[in-house]
Order: sequence, then C-alpha cells, then structure tokens
Amino acid sequence: MTEANIRTLTIDGVDISARADQTILEAAREHNVDIPTLCHIEGLSSVGSCRLCLVEVKGARRLLPACVTQVEEGMEVTTHSPRIDRYRTMVLEMFFAERNHVCSVCVANGSCELQSLALRLGMTHVEIPYRYPQLPVDASHPRFTVDQNRCVLCTRCVRVCSEVEGANTWGVMGRGGHSMVITDLKEPWGDSETCTSCGKCVQVCPTGALFEKSHVGSKAPKHPEFLPYLRIMREGEQA
Amino acid sequence: MSRTITIDPVTRLEGHGKITLRLDDAGVVQDATFHVTQLRGFEKFCEGRPFYEMPNITARVCGICPVSHLIASSKACDAILAVRIPPVAANLRRILNLAQLVQSHALSFFYLSSPDLLLGMDAPAEERSILHVARSHPSIGADGVALRQFGQRVIEILAGRRIHPGWTVPGGVNEPLSEEKRDQLLGMIPGAVAAIQRTLTWFLGSIEKFSAEIGVFANFPTLFMGLIDDRGLAEYYDGALRVIDSEGNIIAGELDPAEYASYIGEAVEPYTYMKFPYYKPLGYPGGTYRVGPLARLNLAGRCDTPLADEEWRRFREMSARPVLSSFHYHYARLVEMLHATEKIEALLADREILDRHVRASASVNNAEGVGVAEAPRGTLIHHYRVDENGLITWANLVIATGHNNAAMNRGILQTARHYVQGDEVKEGMLNRVEAVVRTFDPCLSCSTHAMGRMPLTVELRAADGTLLREVRRG
Amino acid sequence: MSDVTTLATVWLDGCSGCHMSLLDMDERLIELSSQFELVYSPLVDRKTFPEQVDVTLVEGAVASEEDLSKIRKIREHTRILVSLGDCALTGNVSAMRNTCGPGPVLMRVYQENADVQRQVPRIGVPELLARVRPVHEVVPVDVFVPGCPPSAETIYQVLSELLAGRVPTLGGVAHFG
Repeated sequence: MTEANIRTLTIDGVDISARADQTILEAAREHNVDIPTLCHIEGLSSVGSCRLCLVEVKGARRLLPACVTQVEEGMEVTTHSPRIDRYRTMVLEMFFAERNHVCSVCVANGSCELQSLALRLGMTHVEIPYRYPQLPVDASHPRFTVDQNRCVLCTRCVRVCSEVEGANTWGVMGRGGHSMVITDLKEPWGDSETCTSCGKCVQVCPTGALFEKSHVGSKAPKHPEFLPYLRIMREGEQA
Repeated sequence: MSRTITIDPVTRLEGHGKITLRLDDAGVVQDATFHVTQLRGFEKFCEGRPFYEMPNITARVCGICPVSHLIASSKACDAILAVRIPPVAANLRRILNLAQLVQSHALSFFYLSSPDLLLGMDAPAEERSILHVARSHPSIGADGVALRQFGQRVIEILAGRRIHPGWTVPGGVNEPLSEEKRDQLLGMIPGAVAAIQRTLTWFLGSIEKFSAEIGVFANFPTLFMGLIDDRGLAEYYDGALRVIDSEGNIIAGELDPAEYASYIGEAVEPYTYMKFPYYKPLGYPGGTYRVGPLARLNLAGRCDTPLADEEWRRFREMSARPVLSSFHYHYARLVEMLHATEKIEALLADREILDRHVRASASVNNAEGVGVAEAPRGTLIHHYRVDENGLITWANLVIATGHNNAAMNRGILQTARHYVQGDEVKEGMLNRVEAVVRTFDPCLSCSTHAMGRMPLTVELRAADGTLLREVRRG
Repeated sequence: MSDVTTLATVWLDGCSGCHMSLLDMDERLIELSSQFELVYSPLVDRKTFPEQVDVTLVEGAVASEEDLSKIRKIREHTRILVSLGDCALTGNVSAMRNTCGPGPVLMRVYQENADVQRQVPRIGVPELLARVRPVHEVVPVDVFVPGCPPSAETIYQVLSELLAGRVPTLGGVAHFG
C-alpha cells in the first residue's frame, strides 16, 4: 500500500487513517465507531438512500451519507450530535409513518432492523401523521411472501438479485411515495420466469417485507451472513 | 313516574359496557339493556393478511385470553393446511390452553369478583378492589396473585412470554418441551392445587350469605353448550359440541364444530356492538344458550381427574338437573381451575410430551378453515376463508362471551327487578346489577373484537326529562 | 416534581393486555400499592374520574367519539399522562382498520356476518371515528411506554420512577411489539 493511498481524518475528534478508496462508513466501522444504517449491507453496493447514516462533515453545507461519501484528507467528521440525532429520528419516523408497520403482529417482530433502529435511536412514537396506504401482499411464490406494507424501499433485494444472483428479478417502479419493489414487470412473484428461488432477497431484507413462509414463528428467521462470504468466494475465483 | 337509570361504566369486568334500566310509573323495572360500546373489526381488517399470521393477529383480540385465540386460530390454520398435527403438539397446546384457563379464572374470581364475595355487595365502593382485599384478607389476596401467576408462568415457560406469546403455529407448535422445563412445570403443581383447595373451602363456607343473589342472578332455564370428548367429558381443546336443555336432556349430542354455521346464528340488536348468537333450530331469542364454566360442568358426565371429580360431584349435588343460577359460575370456575391444574399434571407426566416432532408442514390445501376450542369463558370459533395463495378473503369470529349475551341481558333484567325498586336507588342495588354481569366474567373486548369501559352515573329523570336526582358512584 | 400519590388507569380501544401486564407484576403490584392510591381504574368501583390525578396510565387507541371525549377529560384532570403500550403509542392493531375505514367494518360484522335483524347498532353506542388514532395525536402525552404489551418489568420500572418523583423515558429501553 503506497502513501498516496492513505488518508488521515478525524472522526468524532479522534485521528484515524483510512484507505483512499474507503467511505466514511467503512473507515468508521474499522475503528469501532458506530453509525446506524438500513439500506447498507456488507457485500452489496451502497446507494445512500435511507439517510440514516447522515454525518456532519466540517465545511459541508449539508449532512452527508457516510456509506457513499469517500474519505478525504483532513476531513473532520462528526457522527453524533443533537442535530444529527434529530434528523435520524425524523428519518425513522418517516419510515414508520409512510407504510403500515405493526410490529406486534409482524412475522419479523424481534428480528427486524427497523424495529431495532427505533429502539437504538430511542424513538418511541411518531409525530408525523400516519398515511395508512392500502398496499398488497403477494403470496403467490410457493416459498416466499412479499408484504408491501412492511417494505422500506431499502432496495437490498434489488441489489442482491442483480449483483450476486444475477437474475435481476427485483426492480423498482414508480416515483417518490408511489415507489414499489416489483418482480419482473410487476407480475406475481409466483409467475416470475427470471426468479431462481434462491432466497437471497429474503435473507437480506431488513424487515418482514420479504419472508420465508416456513420460517413463521422462528426466532432467527434470516441469515444474511452468507453475503460477505459469497463475495469473498467469488472475488477469489475472479482473481 | 317513569324514568331511566344508566349504569355507566360497569366496572370490574373486562371491556366497555353500560347498563340502562327503564322503570315505569310504579318504580318497577320494565326493561334492562346491556350496551357494549366498542368494536375493532378483526373480521374485516384481517383481509389480505397471510393466514399464518392470524394466530398472532387474533391474539390481540384479548389480553386476558390471547392463548384461546392463538389456539382456535391455529386450529383454523391447521384446517387450511389440511394437516393433522402431531399428537404431542396437540397435547402441548392443551397444556397451554389449560394454563390460560387457570390464569383467567383466577383473574375473574380474585381480581374482579372477590371484593363482592369477601366484603359483600353492599361494602363501600372504595373498598371493593383487589388491592383492598389484599390488605383486608392478605392470605386470600396472596392465593389470588399466586394462582394467576401459576397460569401465567406455565404459559411463559412454554411459549416464551405471558401475554400475546408465539409458539403456537399452524401445523403444531414451534419448539418441543425440554425435560428441564417439564420438571420445572411439574414442580409448580402442588402449590397451585393447595391454593385452589383453600379457596374452595372459604368460598363454600360463605356461599349461604348469597342465597338471595343466587336466586335472581340470571337464574332461569336456558340451553347449555360446550365441547365434549367421546366419553362425554368436558373437553377444552378438541371434541364435538353438545347442547343440553335446562332439564339435562341432550338436544344435540355430537355437533361437528366445523359446521357451526348450520346450528349457530347471530342476531344484531340496535343498542349494543355485541351480537347475539342463538341456537338456530329454536330461533332467536328462543334459542338462547349459555357457555363457559357453568355450562361445561352441567354438560360433563364427570371430571376425569380425581380431586376435581370430587368437587364436581359436590357441585352437582346442588341440583338434580343442571345448575341454573349464574351465580354459580363462580363455583364452577374454581372447580375448573382444579380440573385444569390436575390435567396439566397428567399431560406433563406422559413421557411422550418430550417428543421432538412438534410441527406438521404443508401449504394451502383448503380454501376454508374452522377452529373451535373452549376458552375460559366458553366456546370460541374462528372461521377463515383464503384465496389460493393463503391470503385471507373473509373471517368470522364467534366469541365465547358473545354466546352469553342474551342470558346476560335477561339476567340484568331479573336482578334489577328484584333489587332496584321504588324511588330510592342505593349504590349496593346497582352493584348487584353489575355483579350479575360479573358472574359471566364477560370479555367484552373479545366479544366485540373490541373493548372499552365506562364510568357509572345514575340519573333519575322525570318523564319530561327533568333531572330529579343524580347518584354517582365512586 | 411534587409527590406522586394518586394513580389512575384507563383502557380505550385496546385489548386489556397492557393492564394484564401491569397485573403480571404479581405481588410487586401489591407491594407498590402501599405507595399510591388507585383512584380510578377498571379494577376499582370509582365511577367518575377524579378532579386531579397525579399519574394516569392510558392503554389503547382513540377509536370512538367516547374514547375522544374521555381522553380529553382525563388529560385535563391528570398531571402526568402515560401512553401505555403500542395501541396508545402508534395505533397498532386497533388502527389496522384505518386502511379500509369503519364503514366496511360495520358492514362485515353486522350485515354479512349476521343472520337475523341485520343492522348497524346506533342506540346507546358511540360512533366509530373515521380514523383510529394514537393518544398523542389527540392530547399531549408525557411518557411513552412501547410494547405489545410492555413487559411487567418495564411497567414496574416506569411506576417506580414516577413514584420516586422522576419522569422516565423509555427510548432505548423498550421496543415496539
């Protein structure tokens, strides 16, 4: 590793060094600094869409998403402050208000990243008016169910299906509040001709939106650990 | 002059209810109605949900008897899967169901009704609460807490938590029982049995104080309905439905619970959100029947556990025919608690209860499923229809307390006519009108798949509406 | 903060599970009760809400006209209002009818699923609100306790804190569900 590839910066007042190609999130995690995330997952590309990982960077007018912002020499990053906490909580409230998240009766109750974030960020109620949209459940696939009420549009399913399985079954249609993840050209999942039923999307879904039918009632229904492992195995093949 | 008395809220029962009494010019109660004032609508908003979520969702119909809903719902789901669950799973569900029974009966008897039973119906209102009973009768209070705790602990140990637990799933249960937990549960039995026996002793010793109440607390002929097994004994998990009349004649010996809609209808009255189930062959309201502890003890040939059987015989000695006074729901609850505790022990003692295969797997094989079980308050029916992918298209819930609705209304009228008379309305009179409802231990959240509660004000108004007198309780 | 000596509990549109969880404190409830007076509750026979209560625990969402007038009155006469459980906090299961509204619910229960005298009850029963709402959308709330239901341990902690003169926050302590 040459000198040109190292950057020095501070995170929460602590001097650290990172590789030039690393993001703030990667650098922070390597140094045990905890930044909450939702759409990010180790082993997939980052999209910076959930806005939970927003951090303050001195000199920048806006808060920046740590998962897609590359480190720069001399950067001064703050990962926690009253301002940041307020924005993160607002983001989380928006997630809860946008669709129908009834934690108590959800298949993912106790193993949900959205629920855990609410606990972690100390969010106990939502000030934003709930939208109560009418959203469908597609249970046509023999093994899996997709419940739009529980989706947070993190697009992990889209990314894993494209980047790791390669089937590109999942996509996003619509814009803004009308966005929705769909299978093929909005056909029932059970009719999909591209889906290989590998289940990777289910494993990486952070909430109860994608779920394996036979795992209902299970305490640990999802196992996304395969992802970094698969990544390494495949990169090893390519090398 | 004629007037209307409103009891608003009915306290020390689960849910929201108010009572209206209409008195004629002579001060005689002519009419009494029990208004249940809340509704949530599970039967509609569950549409579109995958059927395997129904146990978890319908548990939230009630926080006192979520297990009853978990079980009826799981059975309906079993029917949709078209599976016969492993026998050990059925027995594990049985234990859970029985523990629910003990816990709920303990709540009803100690937390809700013991103030009346121990301190008397005319005791000052501010003393009529479990917290006061715990102070004035500490050992009885301790027994009440301990018995409810026993039931809740069994549920917690089996299913992971006390209220709205999981564990019961379509196809069986989630996890087998470990030897360690089995031993822990068995260790809890003797204490529970002793507490119930102590309770029976003091309760039976004091029962003659209530001879007046026994006479008029919903004491009239009705049919009785409940699940029985192939020996004609009380069955809480499976079995067939039996209907008997007030003479003890079997009207319908073995009805298939899945066909409930052919013999149980539901009527609506404009004054309450709770519907009125009735026995169809006799129409409405002639087909009024009662369910729950009193009904189950009237139906049973005997009890299949020794201590409870002894108590059951003593209970039936009160009358050659079925016991008709609803006051004796209290007594029946205690006998059932004993029966349930003994049965839990018997089921745990079976070696096969530790069997590891506790869940059957399948996908949607039936477009419709009905699950019926005996909840603490009576027969509970869950009925779902699903599309080919298992999404709920329609649901119907017929709730235990609902079956007793007509009898409760009649009971209020009977009690009010006896106690509420003339110009002066004493607080103890009104407490008795509430107390008859308490004998049924209604679960009003359940019965309207909703709940609520209301405060109590009594207004005496002249025919032209002028307020003559106001009596406030509390 | 002045002493907390009076406690009330109320259930709106819920399932009573939060109250059952309160009772799940078992004998600890009896012990705690020496520190306060339960002045209004489904468990006691007081029929009117007192003029001034220190702490009121509210379970359930606001779903009918009656819930609405009740919670407003309670807020007026309560010093510290505690939203207890997910129904009060978020609407939870009680609010699941919001995607279709009360009309279809009434049709299903009283027309479709009834055999005789089909009608929507209207006498002596309150009207259902168009939308089921969390308590804080209607009145200001002082303490939020998540859970469906919140565990007995959580409720014990909340009550202990309040009785000790402190207002607890449950963020980071208890989660929904």
